[in-house]
Amino acid sequence: MKAILRTNLGQAWLVLLLALIFGMSLAGVQAALGPKIEENKLKETLEKVPVVILGQQAADELTAKGETLVITPNTVAVEKGPVTKYYTLYKADFKDGTPAGWVAKTKGQGYADKIELLVGMDADAGKVTGLFILDQKETPGLGNKIVEDAWRAQYGNKDTATPFKVVKLATGGVNEIDAISGATISSKAVTKLVNQAVSDLKPQVAQLKDSDGKGVQ
Amino acid sequence: MADQPTATERFLQGILPENPVYRQLLGLCPTLAVTNGMKPAITMACSVAFVLVCANVVISLLRNLLKPHLRIVIFTLTIATFVTIADRVLAAYLYQMSKTLGPYIPLIIVNCLIICRCEVCASKQGPFVAASDALGQSLGFGLALASIAAVRELLGTGGLFGYQLLPAAWPDWVIMVLPPGAFITLGLLLGLVNWYSARKSGGSI
Amino acid sequence: MSKISEIEGAGLEGPTLNVAPSPHVSDMTFTTKRMMTDVLIALVPLVAMSVFVFRGYAVKQLVVCVVACLASEALFVSMRGKKITLTDCSAVVTGIILALSLPGTAPWYVGALASVVAMGIGKIIFGGLGMNIFNPAMVGRAFVMIAFASLMGAGAYENPAGVVDAISQATPLNAFKGSGIATPVFDLFFGFTNGSIGETSALAALIGGIFLCIRRTASWEIPAGVLSCVVVLAGLADFAAGAGGHVLLHHLFGGALLFGAFFIATDPVTSPLTPRGKFIFGVGVGALVMIIRLFSGYPEGVMFAILLMNAVTPLINRWTIPHPMGDA
Repeated sequence: MKAILRTNLGQAWLVLLLALIFGMSLAGVQAALGPKIEENKLKETLEKVPVVILGQQAADELTAKGETLVITPNTVAVEKGPVTKYYTLYKADFKDGTPAGWVAKTKGQGYADKIELLVGMDADAGKVTGLFILDQKETPGLGNKIVEDAWRAQYGNKDTATPFKVVKLATGGVNEIDAISGATISSKAVTKLVNQAVSDLKPQVAQLKDSDGKGVQ
Repeated sequence: MADQPTATERFLQGILPENPVYRQLLGLCPTLAVTNGMKPAITMACSVAFVLVCANVVISLLRNLLKPHLRIVIFTLTIATFVTIADRVLAAYLYQMSKTLGPYIPLIIVNCLIICRCEVCASKQGPFVAASDALGQSLGFGLALASIAAVRELLGTGGLFGYQLLPAAWPDWVIMVLPPGAFITLGLLLGLVNWYSARKSGGSI
Repeated sequence: MSKISEIEGAGLEGPTLNVAPSPHVSDMTFTTKRMMTDVLIALVPLVAMSVFVFRGYAVKQLVVCVVACLASEALFVSMRGKKITLTDCSAVVTGIILALSLPGTAPWYVGALASVVAMGIGKIIFGGLGMNIFNPAMVGRAFVMIAFASLMGAGAYENPAGVVDAISQATPLNAFKGSGIATPVFDLFFGFTNGSIGETSALAALIGGIFLCIRRTASWEIPAGVLSCVVVLAGLADFAAGAGGHVLLHHLFGGALLFGAFFIATDPVTSPLTPRGKFIFGVGVGALVMIIRLFSGYPEGVMFAILLMNAVTPLINRWTIPHPMGDA
């Protein structure tokens, strides 16, 4: 009996037993809550898709009518020299099947940390319809003004032909974005992300649309 | 075991005489990181309370089986399990809060407060005493977090729990919701608590 | 044990060594009050220039900061149960330097809060004059700089509706960094530009600074270190940009460089003790200023540079302890 207790197994049986019990209970927790967590993650993005494409007012009206957009997620690979960049591109259609627009999810370096945002485009990617910041840790009081409606509204309903340009004092030029006072870096970071997503995805949108039209998907 | 504190003593000690933050200076990582608002601070305090109570009770039940050289492994295993449960539950039911707290919920695993209570109390006393000790310490931790968060959120945003309390003309002291504000507030409140206890015990500074 | 008592015994027989907090002075006529009076005299050209350029804005900022500094010093010192030492004028000096480092348009509570923080967290918490690690005025300014970024940041200096001409333009460094517009060197030198109320005039800072160095109230090694380092680094930047000296002069006379080098970095409490250490300190400040100006999001870096070098002052002191003669 004493010999058994002195072996490693005799010493560590409690640790092993606990590991087993705890492991099993954690698996149970994960099985019970996992789907709900995934749903939360997805919902966060999907809820914003109509707002980014149609604008807050139209999206609210749609919800009031009890309608929703049909949203299909696509993963799009854009080859840029040696690296391939992946975007999640959501295709949104009205209930009757007419296309409403596209929303791209993109992420990049801001002033403090990564900024994650959604860019909305209309059905043939001719216009940027809106912008929503999903995640940011910019300086409170300065850089975090990128989430404010008034500033984001500058990206609404703008032609995708010319890239956005951050300026200190907007003079009414094409696609000029007024920099947030004291937070030029955050403003430029967001604009860069938007420009990149638009230029990367414009051809992809045309392709996806064609394939849809042929009823391939 | 006659000289061990009773359940009531353990509970009361945790609140101020052995307050985890102001007296033992334990668990300062969440204290500094998530006290920029009342909501994250309270959520953090509740998560710590859940983990601490569960871990203390489990360890206390196992206390006669613990071997000196393996006890830390068992403490860590137990704590990690309950932290993971807390993290998953938050992600499922309070998704936005779980995103705000980010890595600080998983980091409860390395919160010295919990392993300290397992070592000091739960591995020596029965489950009832261990549970009341955990409750007292959690309450003390919660009060400390709430006091720091109240100062920071009020000065930094002019409100509490997201509701505006001060007049709109209040200039937000943005520094208070940024990391430097955490250090300044903790230092000043720590000084205040020391000053208060020194006065109460008749000492001078 | 016996060894310790031997040493203690030896100490008792030897001469007594009194250790007092700095500013350390070897000459008995060199009191704290005299030093502070010197600084006040040296500040006169800067104060005059700021009032001339910014009018009411400057007067308001100076009054708020000086009153708040005196009041908070009196309050905190009496809280510690010490004798009130307002008469040594150090609180007045801190108040004026703080006021001169603020933008004229900042509301009254910015200066008031900065003063309370400067005195409370910057000075009294460490044990009062001579015990503080960081320059109190800069601690106060850093606090409000982060707390009220929108009132203190580059954009805050511009107030197109202001009645004083100077504050309707961007600050020279900001205009230079943001839009590449260089302010004429003549304006920079005399100070007819925008900026913190005391930093605009290079001439006033030079007059006051040279006075301080002649009186030995400020150690000339510190400004010499700062300026030589800035000349070298800005010279390189100038050469790289092919600006023919314009960038160099801009960095030298623009912003708070001269004001910081002569009045803030030379604070005897928070700068090293030995001449060599002082020069190293100055070079460090100059290098950090140029790094911040050239590579960071901020247009100006004098405040952060001085605070960072304050933090390494004890280290510089240890490096530069003079060895006794004959000691290897």
